[in-house]
Amino acid sequence: MVVPQGSLGTWEVRSIVGNMFPLLILLSIIVLMAGITLESAEELLEQYGILAVMVPTMVGTGGNLGAILSSRLSTRLHLGTTEFDPTDRVLWANVGAILALAATIFTALAVGAYLLGAVLGFGLPLSTLLVISLISGMSVAVIAIVFSFAATYASYRLGIDPDDTTIPIVTNVVDVFGMIIFIGVSGFVLGF
Amino acid sequence: MGVWDDFWSIYREALPILLIALCGGLFAGLVLEGLIESVERFPGLLVMVPVFLATRGNVYGALGGRISSGLHQGLIEPRFERNDRLVNAVVASFINGIGISVVIGVITWLALLILGWDSAALYEFVGIMLISGVLTSVVMIFGLLILIFAGYTYGYDPDNLVGPAVTTLGDIFGMLFLLLSVGIVEVIV
Repeated sequence: MVVPQGSLGTWEVRSIVGNMFPLLILLSIIVLMAGITLESAEELLEQYGILAVMVPTMVGTGGNLGAILSSRLSTRLHLGTTEFDPTDRVLWANVGAILALAATIFTALAVGAYLLGAVLGFGLPLSTLLVISLISGMSVAVIAIVFSFAATYASYRLGIDPDDTTIPIVTNVVDVFGMIIFIGVSGFVLGF
Repeated sequence: MGVWDDFWSIYREALPILLIALCGGLFAGLVLEGLIESVERFPGLLVMVPVFLATRGNVYGALGGRISSGLHQGLIEPRFERNDRLVNAVVASFINGIGISVVIGVITWLALLILGWDSAALYEFVGIMLISGVLTSVVMIFGLLILIFAGYTYGYDPDNLVGPAVTTLGDIFGMLFLLLSVGIVEVIV
């Protein structure tokens, strides 16, 4: 069925809910893995409360970086300015900017967590927080980049508009990696 | 434009948004730290946290995208009025936001059952998710609409507002209402 632009069709409650709810359930099942990882790390988080403070940002930032890169890539594909040629230097500018953003944000996260911990009295040394935040953060950034390229390319080849389904799936999958890597790296660094 | 200029323009454009999201994330983290004490009363509670937070982005990010496209296309006006499209989009977001919250309560309980882990009762999970789902929906939907409408009226492109607004508001209010509803269910049950 072709819905003409501006008709009420795609704005019906039934069609919005019917289109989105199955995707929401799928995404919830994906992110459930992050929840199970968090639950299994409960003792670690109880002992080092400052790690809990870092969790929402660790989980969210990878997804945010993936979303920024994916929408930039899909816009370029729509405009026909990208063919996924490894010699395309603008692609490398995108990758470089994502890595630089990740380095900035995860440094800021470590410093922010350190300051909050110092004020609240359950901190860890800044060097430890920097090691945990940057190792897990940069790994997640690399995963976000790989997934964004793969998903945008796949949906381009399959003729699916990446904005509808690909970007939410990439963001949520990267969220899961963020949690698993963060808990793994923290446990390893703290010898838990 | 050289590679270096490209690099800087992407970096400069995205950094403020990510820094705002970082502040929201740190606040949400402080609330999460407080929530960990309640885990003994409700085993398995932590499983729901990332799923609940991710859902805020999925449901209300979609609403924000839809509203800003509607504004760009001239299908809706930037104010609260009885416009069929606006009302439908809001009603659908309430159904999606509250419905998926209840689903999260159920699948969390099922996952813990399958893993054989210690778990709170199904009605406790569903109760916590229902209360926090309803409260977050109200604040997120009206907060987001007020922000988008005000931004649009003052000449900001709503497309650039939606992402950071959803992430930051969703982290802050999602965690606050989760903590509140855990407290409510603790008292009632």
